[in-house]
Amino acid sequence: MNIDTFSKLQKEGLISDEEMQRVTHAENNRLFSLHWEIKSALYLGVLLLSGGLGILVYKNIDTIGHQVILLFIALLCIGCYAYCFRHRAPFSREKTESPNAFYDYALLLGSLTFVTFIGYLQFQYTVFGTAYGLATFIPMVALFATAYYFDHLGILSMAVTNLAAWAGIAITPFQILSQNDFGNENLIYIGVALGIGLVALAELSEKRNFKKHFAFTYRNFGVHIFFIATIAAMCIFEKWFGLWFLLLAAGAYLTWHRAFRDHSFYFVLLAVLYGYVGLSILLGRTVFNHLADDIYSGFLYMIFSTVGVIMFLIKLNKKIKQQ
Amino acid sequence: MIAWSSVTLDNLYVQNEADKAHRQGCISTETQEAIRKAHPVDLYTPNPVIRVGLFLLTAIVVAFTSGFFLLLALSSDTPTGFRVALILASLLCLGVLEFAISQKRPYRSGINEALLWSAVGLFCCGIFIENYDMSESAWALTVFILTVLGTLRYADMVSSAVAYLSFLLLVFWQALKIPYSTAFMPFLLMGISLAVYLISSRLVKRPALRHYSDCFTLLRVLSLITLYMAGNYYVVRETNSMLFMPDNDTGIPAGWLFWALTVIIPPLYIYLGVRKKDAVLLRTGVILIAMIVFTIRYYHSVMPLESAMALGGLVLTGGAWALIRYLHTPKNGFTYAPSDESGMADRLKLESLIIAQTFPPTARPADTHPNFGGGSGGGGGASGDF
Repeated sequence: MNIDTFSKLQKEGLISDEEMQRVTHAENNRLFSLHWEIKSALYLGVLLLSGGLGILVYKNIDTIGHQVILLFIALLCIGCYAYCFRHRAPFSREKTESPNAFYDYALLLGSLTFVTFIGYLQFQYTVFGTAYGLATFIPMVALFATAYYFDHLGILSMAVTNLAAWAGIAITPFQILSQNDFGNENLIYIGVALGIGLVALAELSEKRNFKKHFAFTYRNFGVHIFFIATIAAMCIFEKWFGLWFLLLAAGAYLTWHRAFRDHSFYFVLLAVLYGYVGLSILLGRTVFNHLADDIYSGFLYMIFSTVGVIMFLIKLNKKIKQQ
Repeated sequence: MIAWSSVTLDNLYVQNEADKAHRQGCISTETQEAIRKAHPVDLYTPNPVIRVGLFLLTAIVVAFTSGFFLLLALSSDTPTGFRVALILASLLCLGVLEFAISQKRPYRSGINEALLWSAVGLFCCGIFIENYDMSESAWALTVFILTVLGTLRYADMVSSAVAYLSFLLLVFWQALKIPYSTAFMPFLLMGISLAVYLISSRLVKRPALRHYSDCFTLLRVLSLITLYMAGNYYVVRETNSMLFMPDNDTGIPAGWLFWALTVIIPPLYIYLGVRKKDAVLLRTGVILIAMIVFTIRYYHSVMPLESAMALGGLVLTGGAWALIRYLHTPKNGFTYAPSDESGMADRLKLESLIIAQTFPPTARPADTHPNFGGGSGGGGGASGDF
């Protein structure tokens, strides 16, 4: 806080002497926070450690050394979980505060090393047989259990991406478009089902008041995968794209409705943008395909409709702010 | 000079300060309301999510508009037609930006950035297209002039960053023309960086330039980075071998000096940052530590990558743990508790998304469900397909 600004405000008579004193006191006793530095160091450390150990195991698979590494991983995993068991807050259906950032990342390291361990057992001894689904299923269950028991959003996100991987689809933010082959009809059905399922989970956790704050994560993943799958469907299905558009429009309407109730402009934005993309594809496939000067009219449509969407969003934003 | 009225920008600053004081419980809600009433702001500044959305949409509009202009210019065979189309599109962007600001006063809204950057980009394209005999210096000079103008009028941080980098490039290309310039080039660039750092550290506090303080802060970070990079062993050696002796890549004269600079500067930044409690110095120093590791590993293979990763991870995690314990009660003016600036990152659960992104799920073997890719093994956990 800038003391000069506040002394000006005091002269204008906007803040009282007592408040001015509090501001000066707070500013003079302000501490330099190393919160983000420590958090980044922890994140990077866990990233490097789990990645390095994961590679080490597979590189040394034929040597005696790899058992030492395995033992180290197992000890690390047990150590992390033991630390978290000792320091955790008692289980609650509500959000629980973590004691400190180290606790969060110890838990993350513990679950990552656990997943590494399972991957190794499957790779070396095929413990889970040839039913490969199990090799992704067990980490997923472990991650969900850890996320709920210790209340950790990051691990919940990992569990959701594992759930999607188990169903055969990639939904990590940067891979959702690059890693999936949306030309495949099966993938679209899975995507839509997964999206609806995740949103349903979000609704359930809010309605049953069980870990309410997990709802955002579920809904975020669910909404994105649902819309991306329906948009892909509109592009590849020759006959039924109209029907898929109806599904998309219904999804957009529900998201929109829900977002207004929650005052969440993020989901309003998603509903408008995905709905607009769907509508443009529908128009492209039905109208612009049959016009004579289709490229010119297509360009003009894009320019004017996008300007329209921008103005619409600004208006909506002001409206939501006023509410 | 600046596009918005100075009074409104001052009021915005006052409101932000009042919000901060309110969050810390220094002033009451009524006081905050009174301050808001007395210092009204008529700017449109949406939150970061909407900002990104508006930026993308505006970029789409600009792309299609300039595409439309280019379509119309297709009929002319000379590059002049394209040039006119591009420059017209650029001027149109600028016109729309000015009109929007005069009517609705958007400020850091995503629309501003998209229009300004595409105006500069399209103008540069219009000048550079099919212009083969333009020298590198002229290139850098054009970009420099355009971005400086953009910075002055719109106080845009990215423009100021590009302006600084193009200025350094301009100096570099000009100095190359001087004989034996390679010997003093690193020191010239380091000197300029140091000068820019000192000047912007001064100017960031100047009340007359208060609307540009964000630009100066960014310049401070950038000049610290370029100061280090100009003396970094890897950068000096690779630039030398690329430009002057492509077939003789053995080393550089006075290599020890650059090794010393490579290793000493980041800890020096961190030391100064801790002493002065300066976040810019401290964070830049921490980031540049990674560059030390990279430089050393590039020339000397100290240990295999995976062992280095595991060891580095252990050191980082252990160090963070020790720091948390040490700062259990605040010491020497440092604390571990988060500062009061809560932000959008919290509401969007950004941390959890980053975790999900960087630790992708175990890859699903392809033989159970043909055609399904699943997530790839990435670098994170152990995946079956190593």
